[in-house]
Amino acid sequence: MKRSNWFTSRFEVVNAMLIAVVSLTTAFAVWRTNVMGSNAAEHSHLGLIDAVKKQAFENENYRKVYEEAGFAYQFAVKQAEVEALEASDDPIVQDQAANSRKYLLPNMQLLAQPLATDEKYQNTDGTYDLQKRLADMQSAEESQLDPAASFARADSFFSQERWLVVGSIFLAVSLFWLALAEVSSERIRSWQFTLGLGLYLLGVLWFAGVELIFFFMRRGG
Amino acid sequence: MNEANVTPQTGQENADRYTSLIVALIVFTTVLAAVLAALQADANIRADTANRDSQYLTILASGELTRSGLESNYELTVFGDHLKNLQEATVLELTALEQETDGKDKAAQATRALAAISQASADMGKKFSIFYTDPRYAPPSENDLPNTDQYLTDAFEKANEIVARQNQAADAYHAWDYKADTYVNALTVLAVAFFLFGLAQALKDSRTRLIFVVFGVVIILFALLITITTSLL
Repeated sequence: MKRSNWFTSRFEVVNAMLIAVVSLTTAFAVWRTNVMGSNAAEHSHLGLIDAVKKQAFENENYRKVYEEAGFAYQFAVKQAEVEALEASDDPIVQDQAANSRKYLLPNMQLLAQPLATDEKYQNTDGTYDLQKRLADMQSAEESQLDPAASFARADSFFSQERWLVVGSIFLAVSLFWLALAEVSSERIRSWQFTLGLGLYLLGVLWFAGVELIFFFMRRGG
Repeated sequence: MNEANVTPQTGQENADRYTSLIVALIVFTTVLAAVLAALQADANIRADTANRDSQYLTILASGELTRSGLESNYELTVFGDHLKNLQEATVLELTALEQETDGKDKAAQATRALAAISQASADMGKKFSIFYTDPRYAPPSENDLPNTDQYLTDAFEKANEIVARQNQAADAYHAWDYKADTYVNALTVLAVAFFLFGLAQALKDSRTRLIFVVFGVVIILFALLITITTSLL
């Protein structure tokens, strides 16, 4: 049998065109898979930055609340001392108490604000509600920082990347079989071509399915 | 004439020998490479996630240590202040008693006033101290001391727990990173097998072909061994 040349062989031309298409699709799939990996890394990074910011806010809030608690404690102790002085029978001591109440305590109270000035932070036993003060210290900016949300989004991208890798593997394997069909003998090339084409279609469907599922899972993100 | 017909057939048979075996081996290598690529990608993703968790937990542990440090500093300062005032009050009361015994009534009265101030401070400090208000640390009776050891254990318990989780995440990161690297090694080895089978496919001499096939199979077995042992780790 006389064999036709490269240009006239319909199979080889069709297969070569298919190889070109599969190569482009595989390159696109690998690019898209890497984009998902980059998105995942970006959101992980964003989550870590948010965590550092949130922690910085919390550290500052705790530092401030315990600083205020220290001043408030000193004020409460001085107030108790003044009350003890006032209870004395000695008029000299009572004068000392009066002056302390008039000049010293107001200044200490200013230093101990808002715990010592705002009633909402004062407990009935004369102590202060530090947890309430801490809750009130949270700023709007701090409340907006949500590392867990960024990590969840990163996990979603990681998951998508994982499934897209499977699709990319289907495409790569189909490329291999189509290339083999191009160079193999006529006896086996038809089933190699069929296998390659089948894997390609499976890979494309897989890829599209994964993209759609995660698109809706992330509500368009 | 007959010889001329026989010779090409033998040559063709010679050239086609092991072709099916090589194709089968290439298919197997392809599937193995695909599985390895998927395993490598998965291990890499798990390593990335564990690394991120480890870093996140480090931030949390650092914050918790800062918080517990500030809290324990405040609590121990209040407690120390209370103890100081309490001792001052006791010493002043004793001094006042001595002064009364010596007949220094006016001095004793002044000392008692000072003792009352110290006692008032100590009483207020007691209200503020977690060592007297929290039943976990409060002394069981007037003459006992608060359970400060339990307080310190509890104060750093959360930080220690976070650090333990951070260590686990860091270990997981190292394990998955090692796996991902090993899968890359196995994939590199498989590339050599692909090369050998490709070369065997191109060769015409069946013996040389077989040698390349055998080497290729040895390399595949080595890659399989790496894959299985790594997966079981």
